[in-house]
Amino acid sequence: MQNMLKVVKTSDTSAEEIINQASQVLISGGLVIFPTETVYGIGALATEQKAIDKLLSYKTRREGKPLSIAVDSIQMAEEYVEVNDTARNLYENFLPGPITVVSKGKHKVANGVESESGTLGVRIPDYELVRDIVKKIGKPMTATSANASYKKKPYTIDDILNNLSDKQKNLIDLIIDAGTLPKREPSTVVDTTGGGETVLRQGDVRLTKVRETLTESGEQTQELGRELIQKYKHYLGYKSVVLALEGELGAGKTEFTKGVARELGIKEPVLSPTFIVEKEYRIETTEGSYAGEKKPMLYHLDTWRMTEVEPEFEALGLLDRVSEGHVFSIEWADRATEFLEKISDTAIIVWIKIEHTDKENERKITISDFTKK
Amino acid sequence: MKILAIDTSCDETSVAITEGTRILSNKISSQIEFHKKWGGVVPSIARTMHQENIEYVVKEALRGAKTELEDLDAVAVTQGPGLAIALEVGIRKAKEISVQIGKPLIAINHMEGHIYSTLAQNKSGNPKITYEFPLLALLVSGGHTELVLMKDHGNYKIIGRTLDDAVGEAYDKVARMLELGYPGGPIIEKLAKEGNQDAFPFPIPMMKTRSCDFSYSGLKTSVLYLTQKVLTEGLTKTEKKKIIIDVAASFQKSAIESLVRKTQIALEDLGEEFEIKDIILAGGVSANLALRKEFRKVFAENYRLHYPTNKKLYGDNAAMIGVAAYHHLEKDDFTQPIDLERLPNLSL
Repeated sequence: MQNMLKVVKTSDTSAEEIINQASQVLISGGLVIFPTETVYGIGALATEQKAIDKLLSYKTRREGKPLSIAVDSIQMAEEYVEVNDTARNLYENFLPGPITVVSKGKHKVANGVESESGTLGVRIPDYELVRDIVKKIGKPMTATSANASYKKKPYTIDDILNNLSDKQKNLIDLIIDAGTLPKREPSTVVDTTGGGETVLRQGDVRLTKVRETLTESGEQTQELGRELIQKYKHYLGYKSVVLALEGELGAGKTEFTKGVARELGIKEPVLSPTFIVEKEYRIETTEGSYAGEKKPMLYHLDTWRMTEVEPEFEALGLLDRVSEGHVFSIEWADRATEFLEKISDTAIIVWIKIEHTDKENERKITISDFTKK
Repeated sequence: MKILAIDTSCDETSVAITEGTRILSNKISSQIEFHKKWGGVVPSIARTMHQENIEYVVKEALRGAKTELEDLDAVAVTQGPGLAIALEVGIRKAKEISVQIGKPLIAINHMEGHIYSTLAQNKSGNPKITYEFPLLALLVSGGHTELVLMKDHGNYKIIGRTLDDAVGEAYDKVARMLELGYPGGPIIEKLAKEGNQDAFPFPIPMMKTRSCDFSYSGLKTSVLYLTQKVLTEGLTKTEKKKIIIDVAASFQKSAIESLVRKTQIALEDLGEEFEIKDIILAGGVSANLALRKEFRKVFAENYRLHYPTNKKLYGDNAAMIGVAAYHHLEKDDFTQPIDLERLPNLSL
């Protein structure tokens, strides 16, 4: 039966051709398996009952679990769900990206797409091809993972097909094969319907708000750095994580980075990069999608000695490196806002402000990893 | 045996021609009158500046030594430690020349270069210096603070190093706190001469432990707290100046004291196993006269002290790389161009 499956490979077919084929299948009520920045998904036109019924018979044993939809923009999302302030914040800061934002639905999709309580999960995949397909059909498609329920997370087409019955295989109308996807967790699912955000499923994106911590020693400041990077380790090799450190002389910016380095398995002593401008360390942790292949690095930078930050960063080739999924710790990052603005769409930027308090060894550390600065 | 040596470990693009331990030329980008095309030296740290400089500095070094590429016997280059992207420029150039003239390539550790700056001679072969091994070297600069046991040429063991900031960096940062500009070493030294070094008793770093490691982050923070407390609004110009020179003097006392004490501890510890007669003090901060004076006072009676042999050898320069390379050349210790990689975190 498998030879009857229609497969297009992204490696030898133009994006335009794939978009055309996929949109035709979707509009006529068919099912398409497509790659995303997390796992392979299965798409059906969300507004078409016939298509959704077909999808529900593909995804066995769901018992009322809602589906999620992929849209191409916040504008399209607003047609189908109520986007409140919390949700808007997520859209503006994290999407496109591996987050599913659950909002109150407007009941404009077929039965079985929204949850029983009328909520709907919306995703803007960080995968241009998928967004282009959605744009072409002008309506959302489902974005549920392509595995039959409870089976292996699908990172290859074989992961999917090997766990399907012939009957299920027959329901698939088109497979877009992009080879082996990097092993990233499925999207983080965040419920915004209560006003605040509640994480329903933890994926690679961790949500935290601006928070303040008092530390009483350099060791405690290190520990905070260690805890912070632990939450972002999954991004190694995929998306760069930029720790933008602000704070007076002697605040503890290097201490913080020492903790980060320790968590990343770096054994070499991390010393101040002020004089040398930039120090690099090979990250020795096995976590992260490409760890081991792409050799993620910790780049420890200091703008203190630079007369002009922008041209120095350019000459250091930082822009290219940011696209490779490393960790950057930038001291005196408040001098590099122009550069950080430039990379705000490609990298995750976490601002860490370290301030002296009235007590000599105490520091107030403000971490903002929820909103962009 | 003539060597062309290149050092692009950080800010400076430097090229030298050396013969044995003699320096025939030693060109350093910030000290060269550049061709008008560049309109003087642009303060830049990263690669582009080195790339623009290197060709010209190589030519200047050859011209200064009245040497042709064909006369060279080897090419030496700093492999690390340093700024990765800057190191690359020097390494690429060194490989290119080595292949072009068909002469061997020698990879040198920048810190080894600093040690050999104390052995370098001028064109006529002066001064005449010899070491007696094993010896102890204290290397102090903007990027490094380390104590090294050297048992022989090419045989090093680090016995103490900074755990955070280098001593030169502490000077720079204190200068910034006192609004004295950059770089801070020379200006602090100058002001400290007029100040009262006992005005503000700063802690001497790392005195609670007997280890030979250094730490300047805490001293830096102490100076910050103090300046915030004493440099208040409403001081007269004279009062402010008095405080600044006293802070400079007190800071310098503490910084130097820690260098001296850690060196003493190292000598005591090593003394159980080795008979050390020579101490090397090198790197940018070794230009500080107060530091040398203190070293003379404490160590000159029992040890022979060695400093870089001329002014241009304190900071980063290629001549010291060439002199260090000479000892590798004698042992045919070469690197194949294809195998030579930058090692930004290289350690002795």
